[in-house]
Amino acid sequence: MNSEAREQGLLDGIRILDLADEKASFCTKLLADLGARVVKIEKPGGDESRRMGPFWENASHLEKSLSFFYNNTNKLGITLDLDRNRGREIFLELVKQNDIIVETFQPGYLGSLKLDFNFLKAVNRRLILVSVTGFGQTGPRKAYKSCDLVASAYGGQMYVTGSPTSPPLKAYGEQSYYLASLFAAIGILLAIRKRSQTGIGEHVDISLQEAVTATLEHVMIRFFSEAIIAGRQGSLHWNHAFKIFACKDGFIHLTLFQNWETLVEWLDSEGMAEDLKDKKWNNEEYRRQHIEHVIEVVECWTKTHRVDELFELGQLMHFPWAPVLSPKDILNSAQLKARKFFVPLYHRENDTELSYAQLPFRFSSRFISRKKRAPLPGQDNEKIYKGELGFSNREIQQLLHLNVI
Amino acid sequence: MDHIILEELRVLDLTRVAAGPYATRIMADFGAEVIKLQTEKIATGAESNESAYFRAWNRNKRSITLDLSYPEAKDLFLELTRISDVVVENFSPRVMQNWGLNYNNLKKVRPDLIMISMSAMGQTGPWKNFAAFGPTLQSLGGLSYLTSFSKDTPLGLGYAYADMIAGLYGVVAILAALEYRQQTGCGQYIDLSEYEAVCTTIGPTLLDAFINPDNILPQGNSATHIPAAPYGCYKCSGDERWCAVAVFSEDEWQSLCNVLGNPSRAGEERFSSLSNRKKNKVELDKWLADWMANRSAEEAVKLLQGAGIPAGIIQNAGDLAGDPHLHARNFFKELKGPDGNGTQTDTSPIKFTSAKNGPWKAAPSLGRDNDYVYGKLLGLTEAEIKSYIERGIIA
Repeated sequence: MNSEAREQGLLDGIRILDLADEKASFCTKLLADLGARVVKIEKPGGDESRRMGPFWENASHLEKSLSFFYNNTNKLGITLDLDRNRGREIFLELVKQNDIIVETFQPGYLGSLKLDFNFLKAVNRRLILVSVTGFGQTGPRKAYKSCDLVASAYGGQMYVTGSPTSPPLKAYGEQSYYLASLFAAIGILLAIRKRSQTGIGEHVDISLQEAVTATLEHVMIRFFSEAIIAGRQGSLHWNHAFKIFACKDGFIHLTLFQNWETLVEWLDSEGMAEDLKDKKWNNEEYRRQHIEHVIEVVECWTKTHRVDELFELGQLMHFPWAPVLSPKDILNSAQLKARKFFVPLYHRENDTELSYAQLPFRFSSRFISRKKRAPLPGQDNEKIYKGELGFSNREIQQLLHLNVI
Repeated sequence: MDHIILEELRVLDLTRVAAGPYATRIMADFGAEVIKLQTEKIATGAESNESAYFRAWNRNKRSITLDLSYPEAKDLFLELTRISDVVVENFSPRVMQNWGLNYNNLKKVRPDLIMISMSAMGQTGPWKNFAAFGPTLQSLGGLSYLTSFSKDTPLGLGYAYADMIAGLYGVVAILAALEYRQQTGCGQYIDLSEYEAVCTTIGPTLLDAFINPDNILPQGNSATHIPAAPYGCYKCSGDERWCAVAVFSEDEWQSLCNVLGNPSRAGEERFSSLSNRKKNKVELDKWLADWMANRSAEEAVKLLQGAGIPAGIIQNAGDLAGDPHLHARNFFKELKGPDGNGTQTDTSPIKFTSAKNGPWKAAPSLGRDNDYVYGKLLGLTEAEIKSYIERGIIA
């Protein structure tokens, strides 16, 4: 393929059908942002994931979901009812031309429509089907219902998040959906590589629970090596190396082990080191065991400073400290601005631009940007049904009339 | 027939601690030959080959020793680059530069090289040299502020989640660049920012903040942006046993009322729609809390899921290790170390129904693969290797 044909991005030429709700729409957003052509298929009237907040102007309106906006950039959008025979026939036509599908239905649902992997691969042996569900396609809990809260609970995230005196706390947002989407995107790219070697597609089975459990960092390692059941300890890191402290005007995340002697000198120069100058505190293990006292002394000191002052001075002295930023602060971050992390996308219906977070990487290859907002329901019906499947205007009218599209 | 997807791929791995090693671990799990560069000096703490932490993140990899502070080591590194597909590093931006091993120099010996730098802030911008770790990046990226019950007590996640997210993004970028190389023959340099990786996980909220900058608050376990009520985490009988429940649809609401023994409640006006249930959520929360208080989490979840209601046990590490569902899916497996002792490890959540990922190997001991890599792959003689060792270059 010549380089001109690839001007859209690294994945130009890859064609994906997106049947996913909020559990995995970020997977195909990621691939679409990287240049793949993604067609989102919604039920006539719009997908359920359009009900996920937050909303623009706080209206629970199907065309105002900011969650939907973010998770569906750069996709085309069509409507199609898979519960109808004609809808399924049309879907099979699409599968001949688009050989990757991402779906999030309950296990067994596609089978009941005769659209499961075994059936679809007979239509297109190169098909890669990625199924993202709460608990995966197999196992005793496969029929259990899930959502981000349930995945966070069953996956082990909630048990270790929160303070010792609080209930378990779910990570903010829809973290299990982003994790599962990242794993699903890796699964697709691996399956594409396999297919280019063997000519044969693949069914990839992703479970929200496993996506969470696989990313608990220290939690399972410590259990398997030392039988430790990690609990909740607020912002204090499991190994006591980090904690959030209050300042005059906000909060700062500090390390308590790096450059200890420099830290004590700093406190001492302001007359606030108390007994930390004592040599016994130079022993890291001793500090770890008596962390409460260290925290007490350090917090008296941080409360006399502003966040920015500690962040900037700290970084000058190579302390890996960071302010606790709110979303508003993040939008104003000098670092993110310098890297053009936010890109405006135009929304015609409000005649406004919204500022979108980009993917967290830059490539040496430059591509022609084609940033597009998420599609409105059925926005590209004509383009796909007429332009690609060759339907006539009359056929399209009929399908609309019968609520198939 | 078994097909190991990445088996023809060689990765030079300069990464340390968590984000980078997690990315290369995923490559290794799917068959890539990942060669981890170490020195005796840095192989301590989390980077000690003997630590459980190191063993978890470096399974299926090879280990060689090479001290890049020696000029001669640079030549060996360039030789290794010549025979590799991917170079992965997660130093601060100065380090590779100072060694003379930036992408422009490396691609001279391997024109289609894919190189990824996984630094905290990215390779550009006023903070590019700032030091950071997973937990502090979670604070910079909004997760600590938002994951809390109140803005006056930021808590954040109880582990270095940012490192996991950055690792996953790293693999996506590498594999996308490999696909591009497959199609065009072109290599790629990738500049990944872990700070930005964290920010992407609150994408919808950043859009919200763009519109209403001063209105964004932590949500605790409440369903502010989620079309569900009741919704939350409830205490069950026993120490630290909890159950999460989320009721979305009208059907689920009717089922909940049935399970809780008051079917007619579903029809009551004040609970007759999602918005009414949200308005009266305090009363619903109390109802659920009372019902849960004398039940085990297992029983509560069984009854609720049996009636089609999303519910889950808040599992701890012990629950997860014994979880019959995870075991039925072979999510954990035992890896035998060089000492013959087995350690349990979690496998990949990317489950292929046909392709295999081959036999897994425990993490290597320090420099275990020096002979294979320097002798077999680079063709150095035993005497040459010995001389490098004596001079402290392979060390």
